[in-house]
Amino acid sequence: MTRRLVLAVLVCLLFGGVMAGQASAATFRIAVGVDPDTLDPVQMTTTTVANMVDYVVETLTFLDQEGKVRPMLAESWSVSADGTQHTLKLKKGVRFHDGSPFDAKAVKWNLDRLKDPGVKVPIRAPYPIKDVEAVDASTVKVTLTRPSAPFVSALSWTTAGIVSPASADKHGNEYKNIVYPVGTGPYVFKERKKGESITVTVNDKYWGRKPTYDTVLFRIVPEAATRESLILAGQVDLIILPPVADIPALQRNPAVKVLLAPSDRTIFMAFNTTKAPFNDPRVRQALNYAVDKSAIVNSVLFGAADVMDAPTAPSLFGYCKQGAYEFNPAKAKQLLAAAGVKPGTKVSFIHPTGRYTQDKEVAQAIAGYLREVGLEPVLQTMDWPTYIKTIVTPADKGNTTEVHFLGWAPAFLDSAQQMLQFLSSYHPPAGLATTFYKDPKVDELIVAADSESKEDKRKELYCQIAKKVWADAPWIFMYVQRFPIVYSAKVRDVGGIPNEKFYAIYARPTQ
Amino acid sequence: MNFFRRYLAERFVASVITLLGVSIIVFLMVRLLPGDPARVLAGLLATEEDIQRIQIELRLDRPLYVQYGIFLSRLVRGDLGKSARTSEPVIQELKPRLAATLQLAFVSAGLAAVLGVVAGTLAASRPYSRFDYLLSLTTLFGVSMPVYWLGLMLIIVFAVQLNWLPAAGAEGAASLVLPSLTLAAFSVALIARMTRSSMLEVLNQDYVRTARAKGVSEALVVARHALRNALIPIITVVGLQFGTLLGGAVLTESVFGWPGMGLLLVDSIFSRDYAMVQGIVLVFSALFILTNLVVDLFYAVIDPRIHYG
Repeated sequence: MTRRLVLAVLVCLLFGGVMAGQASAATFRIAVGVDPDTLDPVQMTTTTVANMVDYVVETLTFLDQEGKVRPMLAESWSVSADGTQHTLKLKKGVRFHDGSPFDAKAVKWNLDRLKDPGVKVPIRAPYPIKDVEAVDASTVKVTLTRPSAPFVSALSWTTAGIVSPASADKHGNEYKNIVYPVGTGPYVFKERKKGESITVTVNDKYWGRKPTYDTVLFRIVPEAATRESLILAGQVDLIILPPVADIPALQRNPAVKVLLAPSDRTIFMAFNTTKAPFNDPRVRQALNYAVDKSAIVNSVLFGAADVMDAPTAPSLFGYCKQGAYEFNPAKAKQLLAAAGVKPGTKVSFIHPTGRYTQDKEVAQAIAGYLREVGLEPVLQTMDWPTYIKTIVTPADKGNTTEVHFLGWAPAFLDSAQQMLQFLSSYHPPAGLATTFYKDPKVDELIVAADSESKEDKRKELYCQIAKKVWADAPWIFMYVQRFPIVYSAKVRDVGGIPNEKFYAIYARPTQ
Repeated sequence: MNFFRRYLAERFVASVITLLGVSIIVFLMVRLLPGDPARVLAGLLATEEDIQRIQIELRLDRPLYVQYGIFLSRLVRGDLGKSARTSEPVIQELKPRLAATLQLAFVSAGLAAVLGVVAGTLAASRPYSRFDYLLSLTTLFGVSMPVYWLGLMLIIVFAVQLNWLPAAGAEGAASLVLPSLTLAAFSVALIARMTRSSMLEVLNQDYVRTARAKGVSEALVVARHALRNALIPIITVVGLQFGTLLGGAVLTESVFGWPGMGLLLVDSIFSRDYAMVQGIVLVFSALFILTNLVVDLFYAVIDPRIHYG
């Protein structure tokens, strides 16, 4: 009896082996960790989801691998002198996957939908659209409610993706909820198995360069260690976010290639600047000197990050290098003493767990450094919803945080979104400037930069902000995360876009 | 037969009352969790107006009893509401997930029952033999191993090293092997131990000695006379284990990327998707109640002395 059973199991295993070995050469397989909440461009909030939708739905502008804004469905654009009117010239002869024409009317329909309060649009803030006018078949004039220089850059983010208006009542779609995206992209949406996979097939009539693979299969695998196993077993061709501790081993493995792509996610420890002793810039500077950031990057993040040298990531427009707070515990102690902070002072330090790469481990390492300079950090961890609730409590409504761990990754690569962190009108509950940092000069500069249409001038304004913020140190400026992508050595032309997206549409076999 | 029907009716009423209780507890529990679903849904870049709009859309601005009233009135019409995370009806989201979880749970339960009973019976028929000791050791291992670790080990051996099986996913029968083995490990061990002790007790009974004395072959003694009488506690354990398997599916599904309810539950809790969490927990509870009922009915089939009425 047992013998027969063992035999049955073995047969099962062998049979399984044959099945697992089969894979079509024309399919590119990607394992990601997130099961999409939605495939509707306007409703999404997650970069990985946007990354998959990008295969199907295109945007008016496009961010390249250097983070520069390039034409996509819009061939060119111009801005009125006051910065409120953007005129976009559209690409001609493009059709949606359902055959309907891509034109000014389609763009108007999409942008009107983006501003419609009846539609759930979580990331509506970068699109202050007042009115959209289809001037002719290939010209669209967008009037904004306020001047916004980064608007064209914002159009590159998937929220502003252009879907076929004709598809809005087909394939289970509704005006308010698109579940079957029909775009103009190099791939056509084919099938979604919730919690399992998304399949897209090549668009034979694509207006641009055609990709190599006929089919791309996105597999949903939440567990990082399992994704790693999939790539090592050759069962997928690309994964994102492997277990970070295994990066050195993967780098030594000749069967795979590791790309630590630059990203724009800054990780910082935010001070509640309304609360003593953190209302004193000297204390905040002291803590910046107290933490050995390079050591944390090397031994806790296994090299998958770069120490911050400005309040923004280098990939953002308006980045302005400020140098470094070098690791100097003696100087930290000096500054703390000068500010009257006694040794043994308790510091409440909260952090999420599992939200950012190695967040818990990094928090523990930082706590260790704070102890070295005589402080008494009290660490506390929370799940994400609880955490957000805690840090967005308004200062006058019992926000008791002192130091908290946060990451910030602007959706499009412009300093405008990052600088909101230092804008006083963006203090909770209005926004997420969770440090309650307030500086009238900085406020003024941020508003000026947002409406400045001359690039050089804007850059200069952001430099002034960066300098002031860097000196005031509302954060412990930690590091800019890298975005780890692991792909099979049998494929090439895999890259990353510096807003935590992989770029593998034109991946192809090495031979 | 009338008695039986009345018994079923009573059990049904009791189940409905239990489910109603569960619905209240779940309803309150998700709302007692700190964190605002609108805030989580809206993401970090949302404006205050967006968040308020979502709160109104989800009716989070109404008092709790009104929210529960809406929930209950929908529930009796078989409507579990709309998922806040995906904007789709919960029922529609649940159906394929339930099928995937049940598939995994049934295969694992079958595997656990067969392997457990066979191993336990063999051990009991040769107590304190080498096989018996080996089994004790293996089952100790089986009950102590974390699902998570075992799953990854199986993946490393059978997917990465040998490349026999898919490491994750739900494509074809082959992808069922590793998750169901992982999920079944604990139950196999428990059922084997239960079977062994239950069998040992029965094998010492007078009627077994009588059967042997009248020349019935040992295999028949074990299979017919002993096993059937030892089955009651075993079935209880198998039934209870089925519930455990449903719960254990949460971890196993995460490790293997199995598109079941466990995975959905985790995502839903983290996004404070009240309607979805309520729906999943209700379905889990209903399955648990159903399993208990089936186990009770099985008793009567196995032991004619047991009557319901």
